[in-house]
Amino acid sequence: MFEMRSIVKHFGSVKALNGACLSVKPGEIRALLGSNGSGKSTIVKIMGGIVRANAGELLMDGVPIRIESAADSRSFGFAVAYQELSLLPQMSVIDNIMLGHEYTRRGGLLDEKRRRESVRGLLERLEIKCSPDALVQNISPSEQSMVEVAKALSREPKFLLLDEVTASLHHDEVESLFRVLREEKAKGVSILIVTHRMNEIYQVCDSATIFRNGATAAEGPMSRFPLNEVIYHMTGTRVKEEAAAAPRSTAKGQDALLRVEHLTMKPKVSDISLHVDKGEIVGIGGLEGQGQAEYMKAIFGDLTPDAGEMWFEGRQLRLKDTSQAVKRGISYISGDRTKESVFSLRTIEENLTAGDAALGGVWSWVSAKKIRKMAGDAVERYQIKIGAITDSASSLSGGNQQKLAIARGIAVGPKLLLLNDPTKGVDINSRNEIHKILRDSSAEGMGVLLVSSDTEELLGICSRIYVFYEGRVVAELSGDQRTEENIVRAMIGGAPEGREEAGT
Amino acid sequence: MKRLLYRLKTAPYFTGLILFLTILALNVVIQTPARFFSAANINSLVAKNLPLILITMSQGLLMMSGVIDFSVGVQVSLSNVIAIMIPQSLGLPIWVGWLCAVAGCVAVSAFNGFITTYLRIPVLLSCYSMVFVVKGLNVLIMPKPQGSVPPVIYKTYDSVLLGFLPFSALILAAVLLFWLYLKRTAFAKALYATGGNLRHAYSSGINTSAVRMKVYLIAGVINGIAGLCMTAMTASGDPNAGEVYGLKTVAACILGGISMSGGWGTLSCALYGALLLILTQNGVSNLFNFLSRAIPGFSVTNYWQNFASDLIILLALILTVFTNKAMMGSIKKQADYLALGGKRNEA
Ligand SMILES: Nc1ncnc2c1ncn2[C@@H]1O[C@H](COP(=O)(O)OP(=O)(O)OP(=O)(O)O)[C@@H](O)[C@H]1O
Ligand SMILES: [Mg+2]
Repeated sequence: MFEMRSIVKHFGSVKALNGACLSVKPGEIRALLGSNGSGKSTIVKIMGGIVRANAGELLMDGVPIRIESAADSRSFGFAVAYQELSLLPQMSVIDNIMLGHEYTRRGGLLDEKRRRESVRGLLERLEIKCSPDALVQNISPSEQSMVEVAKALSREPKFLLLDEVTASLHHDEVESLFRVLREEKAKGVSILIVTHRMNEIYQVCDSATIFRNGATAAEGPMSRFPLNEVIYHMTGTRVKEEAAAAPRSTAKGQDALLRVEHLTMKPKVSDISLHVDKGEIVGIGGLEGQGQAEYMKAIFGDLTPDAGEMWFEGRQLRLKDTSQAVKRGISYISGDRTKESVFSLRTIEENLTAGDAALGGVWSWVSAKKIRKMAGDAVERYQIKIGAITDSASSLSGGNQQKLAIARGIAVGPKLLLLNDPTKGVDINSRNEIHKILRDSSAEGMGVLLVSSDTEELLGICSRIYVFYEGRVVAELSGDQRTEENIVRAMIGGAPEGREEAGT
Repeated sequence: MKRLLYRLKTAPYFTGLILFLTILALNVVIQTPARFFSAANINSLVAKNLPLILITMSQGLLMMSGVIDFSVGVQVSLSNVIAIMIPQSLGLPIWVGWLCAVAGCVAVSAFNGFITTYLRIPVLLSCYSMVFVVKGLNVLIMPKPQGSVPPVIYKTYDSVLLGFLPFSALILAAVLLFWLYLKRTAFAKALYATGGNLRHAYSSGINTSAVRMKVYLIAGVINGIAGLCMTAMTASGDPNAGEVYGLKTVAACILGGISMSGGWGTLSCALYGALLLILTQNGVSNLFNFLSRAIPGFSVTNYWQNFASDLIILLALILTVFTNKAMMGSIKKQADYLALGGKRNEA
């Protein structure tokens, strides 16, 4: 049994942890919950030996221990899959998994055969499809997350810590991950999962610890925490159960805002047509890498399609680059924050207002006061947890960085908002808040096109859902056809039940 | 076969190899195959340029681990002056002097490594100031070019074994063999990881400081040996001869395909890069010789020759940067394609 007592950690003036307690028993799967910025990743990093606590006690079976380095952490049997991943993109999958605990033969030479065998075994066990020799930079984000898990597992840990690894995983990947976790649990491994996907914790977790503002708000077996309890402990206030209004289209019909016809981009997208009406939230579902990202980027002018036409507000849309899209009133937000949405070295303020700056010319005047006010408003509206508005964006927690990107996209008041998995790693409370903002803006006439890996999110706010499979639309679901079952079936290429829908 | 070709195309040294082969072909054309591949010519090429090749390799190692060191050039001179002066002024046996020469370079590299990895002084800052410190040291030890070495040493260094194998090539082969061994150890993986991303390597349980330190020590040894080769080649000491090499090694590494930001490349990249540099210079000077013989009254100074070869190298650098970018794109596409194909097969 491992215990942490009254852990304190501050980064400058920001208190990330303020007397947090946490314990894990052998053979249990524990959920670590909390809103964005409540200190979950920080406590995981302390266990991983890459952040040192300012105060507090660590007890291993009742004996005080110190974790001073990543090597210490390993020697106590910890292995961590980090939220922002710890992979080396230029190295192969094998090298990444075996890094730091290589099998060697006489004379210090690597035992290639054993390395390969053990990595093969792991990849098979987790059902990761990529080749062991592929460079990590060339595999998909969800595969990268799985490799990060494989890397932690390969150390045969006593304590396995998973920090939001499921955020970029898809349905079946999550399934195989959970199967492996149950196997490990049976072997007596202690597992700690950090996640914002609430349905997952009820599937696998035995107990939960809930953080609020860097301190432990509640702790106990899972049975004590139904969803509204969890949210209460995360936020500290009881919200009235607001019957989530079934999404309904406020669109007036015929009034198409965006119309895309026969868009083709080899090899990812082949002949996809769709339309978004004014005031409509349209969803795009499907497994990862079925062409959704490319499709969105083509609409935003980031990629040039091979064929196909687009109309926006009745006029043909031909974009040479993204700045033209912004000028016409199209805004794009990506869930891949490290690569596409956050300027991690710039300040929070600059991040929030960069979109607005793009509206003017390169040299147009930007008033400092106006910017500060805008940024302040956004921080309040989206409940972004920050130290100072002039801190760098990289100092924020993962979910809060994501909120930065969303706030920036909506702040410019676009007519069409393109969202690519925008709520990845955003806590449940803020996610509801973001959904509300989307609904409100769409009621005012904004069109939204949302790609999401989260079926619940699609069902929750979209009035129409297209499902992509291998670069084609296999289903267009609206009205009471929008069921989880239909989406999941279409995701693996099957047609929806009932009326045959727009197909190949 | 297709796989092999793919492997070759994705190897870090691919562009370096192509560039090298191109310039090699040009050299052969200019000099005629018979003359270019004559034992004497090959021997003189390798022997004359071995110091540069060796320190390019140590620079390559450093760059792969994510640091850079301009002082490799002056370290060659340091080794050179120590190797000459210890026997000459202290009357000690030559081997003592030579050992001290290598030890001197290791000490300089170790110090450099210590201040960059443990004191966290920015790499460019520390190595740049080291250049001046070591330069001063060299002149203190040997104020002006002087000294000599016993004939047996430079004769051996210049000799050709079995009628075709330059002795100097053996030294090069030894260093390459050492790398072949190193590449198959856990240390190499740790080195790439450290160069690729220090924080990620550290959180994977790698003692990144120790890795960097070891790389600096290995580089020091290689620099020392390069200095000894220089001593054997020139058969005398010169406190300033090595300085020009410092920046050239960086250019050579980049030409060979080693990434400036670390974590990518192999020592063959350094080798091809260095050879590219050497053959360019060689080719240009031969070309000008040929021209001055062919066209009566045509003569140019060395400066023009240097200018021409530097221009070629600049062009090659630009080309390398562009092809690397394009290549990464095509690798990605290929990987996507393979991934898609894989999925189709299953369905
Ligand atoms: N290196 C740092 N410098 C400054 N502040 C930091 C740093 N790392 C974390 N913080 C701050 O500490 C707080 C806790 O961050 P942490 O990453 O632990 O949150 P989290 O619970 O993991 O959130 P999320 O669910 O969004 O991942 C945040 O307010 C964050 O801004
Ligand atoms: Mg986190």
